[in-house]
Amino acid sequence: MTKFRGITRRTVTRSAIAGIALAAAPRWPRPAVAADVIKIGMPLALTGPLGSVGQQLKRGGELWAKTQNASGGLIGRQIQLLIEDTGGNPADAVRKAQEMVERDGCNIFTGITLSSEALAVVPKLEEWKAIFISSDNGDGRLTAESFVPNFFRSNISAPMGARAVSLFLRESEWQNVYAIGMDYAWGRNSVQVFESEMKRANKNFIGSVFSPIGTKDFSTYITKIRQSGAEAVYITMAGDDYNAFLAQAAQYRLPEKVQLLSEVVDLTVPRAVGDAALGLISSMRYCFRLDNPKNKEFVALWQKEYDTVPDNNEGEQWQALKMLAAGIEKAGSTETGSLRSALETTAIDDIKGHVGMRKCDHQAVQNGYMVKLAKGEGFSYPVPQIIATYPGEKTTPACNKMTFED
Amino acid sequence: MSLFAFLTTQSLNALSQAALLFFLGVGLTLIFGIMRIVNFAHGTLYMLGAFVGYSVARSTGSFWPALLLAPLAVGVVGVLFELVILRRLYRREASAFLMVTFGLALVLGEIVRLTWGPEALQVEPPQAFAGIVFLAGEPFPTYRLFLVAAGIIIAVAIWQLLDRTRLGLIIRAASQNPEMVSALGIDVNLVRSMVFGIGCSLAGIGGVLAAPLVTASVGMAARMIIDAFVIVIIGGMGSFLGSLIAALLIAFTQVFGEYYLPDFALAFMYLLMLLVLVIRPGGLLGKEA
Amino acid sequence: MARRPKYLRAWYGIFPAAMLALAPFALPLYVMTLLTEALILGLFAMSLDLMVGYTRLFSFGHAAAFGFGAYASGWLLLHTQLPMLCAVPLAALLAGIVAIGVAWVCTQATGVSFSMLTLAFAQLLYAVAFKWTSVTGGSDGLAGIPRRGGPFGFDAFSSRTGFYYFVLIALAAALVFCWALVRSPFGAVLRGIRENEAKTLALGYNTRLYKIAVVALAYGLGGLAGALYAPFAGFANTELVFWLFSGQVLIMVIVGGSGTLIGPILGAAFFLVVEHQLSNYTEAWALGFGLIFIAFVIFAPEGIWGLLTERLGRAGRSVR
Repeated sequence: MTKFRGITRRTVTRSAIAGIALAAAPRWPRPAVAADVIKIGMPLALTGPLGSVGQQLKRGGELWAKTQNASGGLIGRQIQLLIEDTGGNPADAVRKAQEMVERDGCNIFTGITLSSEALAVVPKLEEWKAIFISSDNGDGRLTAESFVPNFFRSNISAPMGARAVSLFLRESEWQNVYAIGMDYAWGRNSVQVFESEMKRANKNFIGSVFSPIGTKDFSTYITKIRQSGAEAVYITMAGDDYNAFLAQAAQYRLPEKVQLLSEVVDLTVPRAVGDAALGLISSMRYCFRLDNPKNKEFVALWQKEYDTVPDNNEGEQWQALKMLAAGIEKAGSTETGSLRSALETTAIDDIKGHVGMRKCDHQAVQNGYMVKLAKGEGFSYPVPQIIATYPGEKTTPACNKMTFED
Repeated sequence: MSLFAFLTTQSLNALSQAALLFFLGVGLTLIFGIMRIVNFAHGTLYMLGAFVGYSVARSTGSFWPALLLAPLAVGVVGVLFELVILRRLYRREASAFLMVTFGLALVLGEIVRLTWGPEALQVEPPQAFAGIVFLAGEPFPTYRLFLVAAGIIIAVAIWQLLDRTRLGLIIRAASQNPEMVSALGIDVNLVRSMVFGIGCSLAGIGGVLAAPLVTASVGMAARMIIDAFVIVIIGGMGSFLGSLIAALLIAFTQVFGEYYLPDFALAFMYLLMLLVLVIRPGGLLGKEA
Repeated sequence: MARRPKYLRAWYGIFPAAMLALAPFALPLYVMTLLTEALILGLFAMSLDLMVGYTRLFSFGHAAAFGFGAYASGWLLLHTQLPMLCAVPLAALLAGIVAIGVAWVCTQATGVSFSMLTLAFAQLLYAVAFKWTSVTGGSDGLAGIPRRGGPFGFDAFSSRTGFYYFVLIALAAALVFCWALVRSPFGAVLRGIRENEAKTLALGYNTRLYKIAVVALAYGLGGLAGALYAPFAGFANTELVFWLFSGQVLIMVIVGGSGTLIGPILGAAFFLVVEHQLSNYTEAWALGFGLIFIAFVIFAPEGIWGLLTERLGRAGRSVR
């Protein structure tokens, strides 16, 4: 019997088999907090490249649940969030969501992080009789060709973000515009929407280039932008690619020659690249600077709990859950059919002002914002200042559409 | 932009990219060449270098201590791993190393995430190289020039180490005939630990040097590891000069390819790899066929 | 340890088979989904074992087989009226045929170079799958893949439980096929190549042809696993061709015990279930996961199958 520091093979074998048996044991259904609990499933990407986004959604959800439960829950029932890590993998997202439905009896989802995960889950909603209210998925198709009745989008979509940028550009003096996007569905769609917007606004859309996901060196792309003669460049990027691009663009002094515009930005970006983000103008889905009483209350609450200001996705998750709560209260239950009907016509006045769900495609109509990153009192990194606000009717595309007509 | 300016800028872009790629690949090829280990954790060690660099730069307020201490720290981690785990496995098949370095990549990656958090962190370039120079009328970041210079210095240093020093001789001998070297009274295990440590340090240096360009992020390991493998494969596993040539080849192909055919940007590296492997299965300067 | 009687050895095969056959009656539906996925991955890992365990050909690009099979069957189910029973085998066959060409190029090299060539092909397939949006759906992949029944209205396999049996039958058939293959003269040559290729060559065997054949078979069976996955999950995306997946299946084979056919199936199930359960409990699941692999390498080099056969005695060993 070979021994390894006193641990025999037999011991290892036995413990390994025990471990395997334990690992294979199906997990018991989660113990309920109380007899009748409202379960909200959040299969989040907590690890992986977009882990920081998933963490934001988690924080937003947890603070909401805590606050709501402290004031008596929802329709007299306590809220329980089912949070699990998908790692950003669509197959895992579907599997975990399915388990939440079948093992835990959950019929409400939110916080699914990646659009690819959302696109994989959405076709299953009918089979699961589950409602999904998105807080983060921007893909235009989710309210257009991939639309299903059980899907609701509370957040600003990618087309809405692109629209805000183009409305802003219409009012600006810049004539020649270039575009760069990440080479996959979101990047391509967003640039496409933007291009058609520029043509309608009689601006000169010079051209576009797409970088593969995972590009680390943007020097060639920066050269291209510089050579194009553009005065402004529209950027559809996210995550590590976006950070690398901004850091390098600043090193090439690109912002001095070309105005950088982007479809969406999180606070994680200026935190990651520092002064390289100064002067960036972007559409933002939620900004902590929004000036209304509800938001001030929210920001104060957030600062007390997390000792920082709420970010893009944190605010969006909060809003999504507020919408959901309003829908549940209206329906008086969490039963899928009645919740769906109630949500279709739900409107709230909350951190982003007045937001109303649209019945035809379940998109929440809301204001669009443009921000500019600048030095801020009490912050060690550039922070957004709101420079333009557009009413929801102008920034939301027509029902089931991803493009605009005017 | 004039043609001259364009060519100058693009060539320098390519050279700085080649430097980055070289830093990425050299540690991996060294470890494989000397120890026949395919180090799956290479990307993670690279990432660790970037994060340690961040912490050192933050606390000292300067880039230079980070450049010194980060590779040291990563090298120590590598040596510890070699002592505790790898040493047991030298009599085993190659698949053991594959799995154990895969395990290390997972463990280390998670430790990094738990220690520094999921957000990307900024590492600023050194004050001396944070500006620009004008080349043919176009601005070019001095940090990239620094990268090219650093690449040359490190390449020469390694070359000298392997070629001219007694240590280098021992290392090369040990890779070819460990029994004989052992019979000569040299502690082969010590040599192995050192080589693994040096290889990991090189990964760490790569991470620190790249951080001002790409930030220190938890996704770094996965983004970098496949590039590292491609460099080493094209250059020839175990060939230090090969990884240098491969880095240049890939960088120039990438930079000019991205410019003229951006739609195929994703495929360039792999097409190049396939081409080289079909013509020379061992890589450009590889030892195996 | 005395050899266990032969009739007891049969039990070791029948008992798990019976348990698997009866599983849908005992386990809740969501566990069945996990089990189905485990069987599909098991098939995938077993196909790689033909190369790794029996011929010592390490493929770093086996995900290409899975991904190709998934996209092929997904495309057929979405764009033609073919039933699953036709689309799935057809996709697997296509994967095997395409693999002949890949194998021909890759077997020009040996050792690490061979592995790297397989990786190169897999990455190219990834690039193609990512960019050829009109056929593969690009970065979105194919979604809404149906479990079409037929022919003649036969749709017993289309329900969740039915599909489980479909996968179980496919896996069993593949296992029997592989088992017969490795016990045949063909298998003997493979083992000869594994132990000493030069010697096998000297004995007059065209080792290159055998290698091409085993690679094509392995990719074909891997393609079968992928072809089953597409209607199982309802989608096929580029993650299925990604190098990480290739690395994971290689780990599954090694953890399970290479060169045993059954070992890799267990390895795949183990990998899936442990990852699943760990990630249910903690965000830091990757840490535990990595430690488990390291532990396996140090304490259980023969893998799970090695642990089990040691426990059960030599009787349980399959042909090595």
